Amino acid sequence: MPPIAVGDVLPDGTLSCFDAEDKLQQVSVHSLAAGKKVIIFGVPGAFTPTCSLKHVPGYIEKAGELKSKGVDEIICISVNDPFVMKAWAQTYPENKDVKFLADGSAKYTHALGLELDLSEKGLGTRSRRFALLVEDLKVKAANVEAAGEFNVSSADDILKAL
Amino acid sequence: MATNILRRAASSVMRETLLTGMLRRSYASVAVGSDIVSAAPGVSLQKARSWDEGVSSKFSTTSVKDIFKGKKVVIFGLPGAYTGVCSQQHVPSYTKNIEKFKAKGIDSVICVAVNDPFVMNAWAEKLQAKDVIEFYGDFDGSFHKSLELGKDLSAALLGPRSERWSAYVVDGKVKAFNVEGAPSDFKVSGAEVILEQI
Repeated sequence: MPPIAVGDVLPDGTLSCFDAEDKLQQVSVHSLAAGKKVIIFGVPGAFTPTCSLKHVPGYIEKAGELKSKGVDEIICISVNDPFVMKAWAQTYPENKDVKFLADGSAKYTHALGLELDLSEKGLGTRSRRFALLVEDLKVKAANVEAAGEFNVSSADDILKAL
Repeated sequence: MATNILRRAASSVMRETLLTGMLRRSYASVAVGSDIVSAAPGVSLQKARSWDEGVSSKFSTTSVKDIFKGKKVVIFGLPGAYTGVCSQQHVPSYTKNIEKFKAKGIDSVICVAVNDPFVMNAWAEKLQAKDVIEFYGDFDGSFHKSLELGKDLSAALLGPRSERWSAYVVDGKVKAFNVEGAPSDFKVSGAEVILEQI
């Protein structure tokens, strides 16, 4: 698939997570995003540095500001299983707003055209680093990083698009 | 007549026997006596590490040959880091028995799973096991596939993973080998069982 771009309709897909009662749930992307303003940001891997130390914390810190600008959901996705995503989310006890969803099979990442082969780093097929602003399933901003970079997909960058 | 049989079958003992018979498990290509290095030629594992360690080691991998040749190794595989039985029973059974393994001259006690080495590292730290036993990632499942110990756990939202198993390997030769009937079981792959087999 070609990478998702501004003007595209956000594809539907299934992601997974553990809910508040610690039960494994499968979630449809459209059910989270239809009729709403959502930010979806993707990271190459749970427990890796840029993802853990810069990308995620930025969205946790700016969640309040993003919500005051009408953002309904802030979703972090990664090609990891839901157990790993849950454990990783737990390393951010201060987080209230960012949802950590698992794209374990990379199917949704493929649907977005944002997959990246990181086998050389021992990671396999993962996601590129990106941030999307989506309003009622229409992509309004699609900031996709070049490999290894962190210049356009942070919370500050997405705030500029709002 | 049929309903009587069904009713008896519904009792737990019969049910367990029937279920075990019905469980279709693929059989591993390794068994006692096989050579683990020949079963997985050219395969490597990734030692659990932080990203910085990965960068400074240029994301190096460790070949199966280097892990097993000339050593006495106890190795156990499990379906996934951060999952229930793996975290709460399987790893702890080995970490709390480490002195017994050392007393039997074991060079390495290794935990392997189809996870990337960074997740394995964070998990090992969370379990406070990083300094006790060794953790390796089989990120693309190639090690488990070579030994025919791969298992599709997509139904549990884990994707391709592995069986739950343990082995005692001396200079690459398998001396003891245990595989659970189902990955959620924990009956034959713990430390206590393999200690008896060394």
